[in-house]
Amino acid sequence: MTISAFILKNALRNKRRALLSVSSVAASLFLLVTLQVALRELTQPPESSGAELRVAVRNKISLTNPLPARQRGVIERIPGVAGVTPFTWFGGKYKNEGGMTFAQFAIDPKALGTVFNDAKMDAAGYIAFNQQKDSCVIGKITAEKYGLKPGDRFSLESTVYPGSLTFRVAGIYSGTPDDRNMLFRQDYLDDSIGMPGYVGMWWLKVKSAAGMPRVIAAVNKAFENTSAEVRAESERAFQLGFISMLGNIKALVASLSTVVVFTLVLVSASTMSMAIRERFRELAILKALGFRRRELFAFILAESFGLAVAGAVIGIGAAYCLYTFGDISKMTHGIFVTFEVTPRIIGFSAMVAALLGIVSAIAPSLSVARMSVVNGLKTLD
Amino acid sequence: MALPLSHNFRNVTVRWRATLATVLGIAMVVAVFVLVQALAVGLEKSASNTGDPRNIMIVRKGSTAESSSQVSLQQFQTLHYWSQIARDKKGNPIVSADLVTLISQPRIDGKGEANVSVRGLTPMGRFLRPQVTLVAGRWFTPGKREVVVSSRMAKRFAHFKIGDRFKTAGNWMTVVGEFAGQNSAFDSEVWMDADESRALFDRESYSSVLVRAASPQAAQEIISRLDSDKRLPLRGDSEVEYYSKQTATAMPIRILGNFLATAMSIGAIFAAMNTMYASVGSRTREIGTLRVLGFRRRTILLSFIIEGALLAAIGGVLGCLLALPLHGYSTGTMSFNTFSETVFQFRITPWLATKGIIFAVVVGVVGSLLPAIRASRLPVIAALKSV
Repeated sequence: MTISAFILKNALRNKRRALLSVSSVAASLFLLVTLQVALRELTQPPESSGAELRVAVRNKISLTNPLPARQRGVIERIPGVAGVTPFTWFGGKYKNEGGMTFAQFAIDPKALGTVFNDAKMDAAGYIAFNQQKDSCVIGKITAEKYGLKPGDRFSLESTVYPGSLTFRVAGIYSGTPDDRNMLFRQDYLDDSIGMPGYVGMWWLKVKSAAGMPRVIAAVNKAFENTSAEVRAESERAFQLGFISMLGNIKALVASLSTVVVFTLVLVSASTMSMAIRERFRELAILKALGFRRRELFAFILAESFGLAVAGAVIGIGAAYCLYTFGDISKMTHGIFVTFEVTPRIIGFSAMVAALLGIVSAIAPSLSVARMSVVNGLKTLD
Repeated sequence: MALPLSHNFRNVTVRWRATLATVLGIAMVVAVFVLVQALAVGLEKSASNTGDPRNIMIVRKGSTAESSSQVSLQQFQTLHYWSQIARDKKGNPIVSADLVTLISQPRIDGKGEANVSVRGLTPMGRFLRPQVTLVAGRWFTPGKREVVVSSRMAKRFAHFKIGDRFKTAGNWMTVVGEFAGQNSAFDSEVWMDADESRALFDRESYSSVLVRAASPQAAQEIISRLDSDKRLPLRGDSEVEYYSKQTATAMPIRILGNFLATAMSIGAIFAAMNTMYASVGSRTREIGTLRVLGFRRRTILLSFIIEGALLAAIGGVLGCLLALPLHGYSTGTMSFNTFSETVFQFRITPWLATKGIIFAVVVGVVGSLLPAIRASRLPVIAALKSV
């Protein structure tokens, strides 16, 4: 029998225990991967194509304060700006649903092909959206959820403006990281229940990435010391600002991960030492046969490492398959959208598993090293 | 026949290391479960301790938060002299019109900004909210660009200490006092003068009106009068009710908590099974002896399940104790309801602790079921023969 066959036989001698140990490591690593993916998604939202050329402009007081519509002309004249659109939160409730289930924004219909060109739609949709004032476009996810098709009509009751509005679906778009929003026309809002002369915020498209800092600075400067000072920033910075409002969520998830890892180490270490203690007699015999401490340690380490790695492969693999091939948006009711298991997360989790295998081997190895052959042989357990 | 429980107890002490690890493992699972749920409870109740039963809160119909509600000056004037409204000693109606705006402010740790609710209110508005008391400094003087902040918010934002100045809407504001709101929604606010804030933020209308009803009957009359008056697109609610409906949705946190508890408990069940199997394995002879003495299979089954359940219950209690120091710990996040920073406390309610312990016992029972069945099915002769 070779040494590796000996280790394998030992590890699988008590098949049930091996299975339980591997499963418990697998469950914990599955959890660890999930927490990290959730943390990554919360703190680093998916980047949409064209984001590097987009600028968000909001009221300096806060996002909820409106901006005067007259700012548009000033922004359009800034060199390097390729397109501008208002972007006004409507806060509509669909039918009798208790809360909002998708976001709606009023925009300039032309912006769909320019500023938000990552949203792809058929040509008929663009034409209808540009021609009909009461039309809107809906993200694929929302359209599928409510079974809406081009030509359908529906109304939304606003929580921001007094009353409700009826919309006609012009088209269904897809291709953004999160195809859930509904976009409709700012002029329709202004002519009905809106606040003419004011918009929620501006979105800009700049001509080149190199021109970004200059355009941002120019927009900020253009309205300095006016009654509506603005904060212009890149799409990325705007998203991160949104995330920073979530506050202590990051610390919470990070500390949960720590607790999970700690529990994992505790439980696996105890299982390993159980397996070794059961075998004290045999180890004593090996010692009597002349195996050295170092070699015994290698046996134990290999076994514990093997179990941990097996658990890691199952746990990380399951998480990877579930989040890569499963529909995470449906599973979490839209809280998470992409839920990507990155190589970095896999690497980190595998490292935790490897460390776990090593740490679990230390305590049993120490007691084996300390035991005298005679005492070991006497063990009944 | 009595259960051979003393046998179980003595055995637990023999394999104390593995048992301790299992108990601690379960304790961790329960601690995580209780803490995450305590967070959800705290967030959901962050506005619940707000409101006086005599007060009526009036906002625009269809608005979901004060910051998105508008009450025009004219509407306020109409309301002002309704006979159902209580009057103070001087004969003035007890009414306050407030303006709630959100301002973006840097956090104290320098990690980004968050929206803060600023409530502009009148002296009468302070009188209507007696649970708010000044704890340091003084109240603001109208017209001097002064604000008073809640002590909880002062701990979370960079420029909210007494004497600090911050810039918003092109003006420098000075913090002159700190107030405490007894765990009400006002703990997440900054207060200043109502008309000054209308001028500062360039608003024509107010956000909400708070009135003191002359009697419970008058309160009902105000609510139904607002409901039936088509000229006033407003809605009245008892202040207590208004805030209890303002529960921030803690759904994502609850989902996270349940997911964590499930995944961790699966791991814990495997670990508990491991320990119990080992424990049964090492006691094979003794179990055989018990059987010979006349203990029945089902008695042995039950005794092992009780052993598992008890160990898990100890773990559960330990988990609750581990979580307990965080009870009342104040934290904050953005409420999707008000779209602003909401401070809240971890709340470990007795019911939550009980749920945690029940959860632990379930883990213990499930984990010890299979090993217990194995113990009860050991053939007597073979068991006695084993070394």
